[in-house]
Amino acid sequence: MNLFLPGMYVAADSAIHRLDPRVKGAAALLLMILPFAAPEPASQLLLVAFVAAVAALSRVPLRALIGTLRTVFWLGLFMFVFYFFTTPGRAWIVWGPVALSWEGLLAGATQIYRLCLLVSISALLSFTTSPAQVAHALEVTLGPLGRLGLPVREAAMVVTIALRFVPTLNQELENLVRAQAARGADIRSPRPWRRVAAWVPVFVPLFVAAFRRAEELATAMEARGFRGMQARTHLYELRIARRDGVAALVVLGLVAAACALQRLS
Amino acid sequence: MLIQARNLGLTYAPRTPLERVALREIHLDIHPGERVGVLGPTGSGKSSLVQLLAGLLRPTTGAVWLDGVPAHARSAQAAARRSRIGLAFQYPERQIFEQTVFREVAFGPRQRRLDAADVSRRVQWALESVGLDPDTVAERVPFALSGGEMRRVALAGVLALQPEVLILDEPTAGLDCRGREELLGRILDWQARTGATLVMVSHDPDSLARAVRRVVVLADGCVVADGDAPQVLSDIVRLRALGLDVPQPVAVLSALREAGWPVRVDRLLPEEAADEIWAAHACAAGAAR
Repeated sequence: MNLFLPGMYVAADSAIHRLDPRVKGAAALLLMILPFAAPEPASQLLLVAFVAAVAALSRVPLRALIGTLRTVFWLGLFMFVFYFFTTPGRAWIVWGPVALSWEGLLAGATQIYRLCLLVSISALLSFTTSPAQVAHALEVTLGPLGRLGLPVREAAMVVTIALRFVPTLNQELENLVRAQAARGADIRSPRPWRRVAAWVPVFVPLFVAAFRRAEELATAMEARGFRGMQARTHLYELRIARRDGVAALVVLGLVAAACALQRLS
Repeated sequence: MLIQARNLGLTYAPRTPLERVALREIHLDIHPGERVGVLGPTGSGKSSLVQLLAGLLRPTTGAVWLDGVPAHARSAQAAARRSRIGLAFQYPERQIFEQTVFREVAFGPRQRRLDAADVSRRVQWALESVGLDPDTVAERVPFALSGGEMRRVALAGVLALQPEVLILDEPTAGLDCRGREELLGRILDWQARTGATLVMVSHDPDSLARAVRRVVVLADGCVVADGDAPQVLSDIVRLRALGLDVPQPVAVLSALREAGWPVRVDRLLPEEAADEIWAAHACAAGAAR
């Protein structure tokens, strides 16, 4: 069983885990803007060092982070190739109508760097914030929209449930893959078409199970007194603590420093 | 086919905070034609063990050997050995996906590229083996069948592969009493006709008492007992200590024995227990006269 799904919460106790989810979310958003707002190498070096420090502080296994980065491998490759071939610049290798340039190489590499950084930051956020906290933070942050009649609480509930069932469905997927492989499904076939066909016996039962599970869950929630469109209280209220203030200051300081470095160069 | 496990161990998510040892240092030989039961409390590693035996999981330590070939190897030889093992997972009806019962059962044989006549013959035979009438069910939608029937269809899908070794993970879980009896009876008939090896995982000692000759008991990922079914299943102290039940006849005989009756407790089936009690009763009546 693969317990580290890309981007899934990793239960651990660390300074980053303990931070208020709203502060973490806002900080992640700020940090994600930096690669675009302050693209100078010095600023970026600072940012990378900071993200690395957060990763170390969060006690999330490196394997989980690398596993998450691997999920965007094809997207990264596509972006690289796209920028490599389409960025104008001094021709380096000319091959028929295609001209490759140093500028293209640089632009492609920049895109990969940005992609990796964005994925790492959002992964660190989701690794250290439980689905319940994500939903709670969403509910509190989007609360004002509720007054306009938008179903904010229900949306938060849907998000929590969806996140909660990702590992369950993944476990089921792995079981099905093994079960159908035991019956002769050619899931690891070298021929792409046979491999695609081999997934049909996996996805049909997976969807059947997901729908059954959804129905059971809905019934169980009703049986336990859940009613939609009603205000609910929380066992743990979100409170901004001193450590959240410190974290916010550190991030703001970093952003200011990165912007200053950008101005200087 | 001879199945050998040597120093077999399995750890999930090794070297992470979520590390969990499922099995450790398992040594096991399963000979052709044997009927082996695997008994153990929930979470003792039963399902992991049988998936390792079928070569579906890669062991962390040691290996499973199928007639001398490592089960999880990528070689064609290992794949051929694995294909001789049929494994029905827990709740196999949850793996049904085809639109008709015929196609569902034919899935395995078709994956093996058998010709149409052979596929159809196997489907017929497999459905009959599990007690379903091919003429009435073959064209039905499997999802419209009852739970017990779906289970049998799924099992037929495994039998249609004509495995030399049949591994069943909790085949009777969730079935009512009659469904359980019926399914076990069909499996045993099939085994007697084909002479295949049968490995059955269960935490229902009564099912094992009927179905197998040898029982392996797992607890916390280790083999804690391995021997003849009557001997292992009548060890009431050990099984209760593991949170497991003993077969009903054993429980009755053991209570009688504690009350001073001269009975043996290693009688696993109700008929055997009745004979034992009758003999003890006759003996006592004779002595009184």
